[in-house]
Amino acid sequence: MISFTSEQRFIVTGASSGLGEAAALLLNELGASVIGIARNQERLEAMKATAKYPENVFLEQKDLTENIKGLPAYVKALKEKYGKFQGLAYCAGISQIQPLQFLDYNDLKKIFDINYFAPVLMIKGVADKRCNIGAGTSIVAIASIAAFARDKGHLSYAGSKAALSASLKCISKEVIGRGIRVNCVSPSNIKTPMNTGMEDYEESQKNLYPLGFGETKDVANMIAFLLSDKAKFISGQNYVIDSGGVL
Amino acid sequence: MTNEEFLTEMQDVLQTEEDLSMDTVLDGLDEWDSLSVMATMAFLEKSFGVKTTMKDYKDIKTIGDIAKKAGL
Repeated sequence: MISFTSEQRFIVTGASSGLGEAAALLLNELGASVIGIARNQERLEAMKATAKYPENVFLEQKDLTENIKGLPAYVKALKEKYGKFQGLAYCAGISQIQPLQFLDYNDLKKIFDINYFAPVLMIKGVADKRCNIGAGTSIVAIASIAAFARDKGHLSYAGSKAALSASLKCISKEVIGRGIRVNCVSPSNIKTPMNTGMEDYEESQKNLYPLGFGETKDVANMIAFLLSDKAKFISGQNYVIDSGGVL
Repeated sequence: MTNEEFLTEMQDVLQTEEDLSMDTVLDGLDEWDSLSVMATMAFLEKSFGVKTTMKDYKDIKTIGDIAKKAGL
């Protein structure tokens, strides 16, 4: 069984809803301390209120795209406040359906800011030798099967997630010598607030999901596993969670 | 860039908690590995426009030797 101690501190981004909230709550339930980061303080408080061990949930309201280049220093400041980190679950992200003919540079930049630049620089912060516990540190970021699929209108989202998963493989090579593991989880459509209003799309994709649409907990379970020492032999991988049918 | 600023920058480049001086011997730092050499190469090029090759690092023994390459 996976278990953590309260001395094991994980940063979870996007912790106020969806996959981030599920990951934060599960890590906490398994005994870890969680530093939950999100833009919305009210929703962060609501997440904490449902935690099994709320005394081990710490909230940080922040828009990660506000000062992206300052994110490594932000992680360092968090380390001063809470102590060295056991790992990171980067779950913040946005989706965007825009075909090429309606796409401009600002749309691309917006999605790459939160889905690519912010995670890479948060990882830079957590992988900094001064900010983590060294060997045993584990980092997980959420990519997407969109990076493998070829759906119309998904070019910016797919591009950002493909870039992230490719970079994580390079990062894993850079930090493995220090015993730091880096992995990626690529879910298919999951029932999250990010995907509300996409019921028509889900309906059209139904035959691709033989096991049904995923729940946030399905992804959180994989995140918790990869962050735990049960996955101590695994790094540089990208795990597809797709109901067994999309890819 | 002053020598003091250079030393602070090098602390970040090497991600070390050690206090650095110009006399700090690189082989004495746990952090001085092939990745740190790559990071130093990128730092010299980006901040000083100085290109170095892996070969140069055979003769670079101290933080001060890196500063010399930077032209400080």
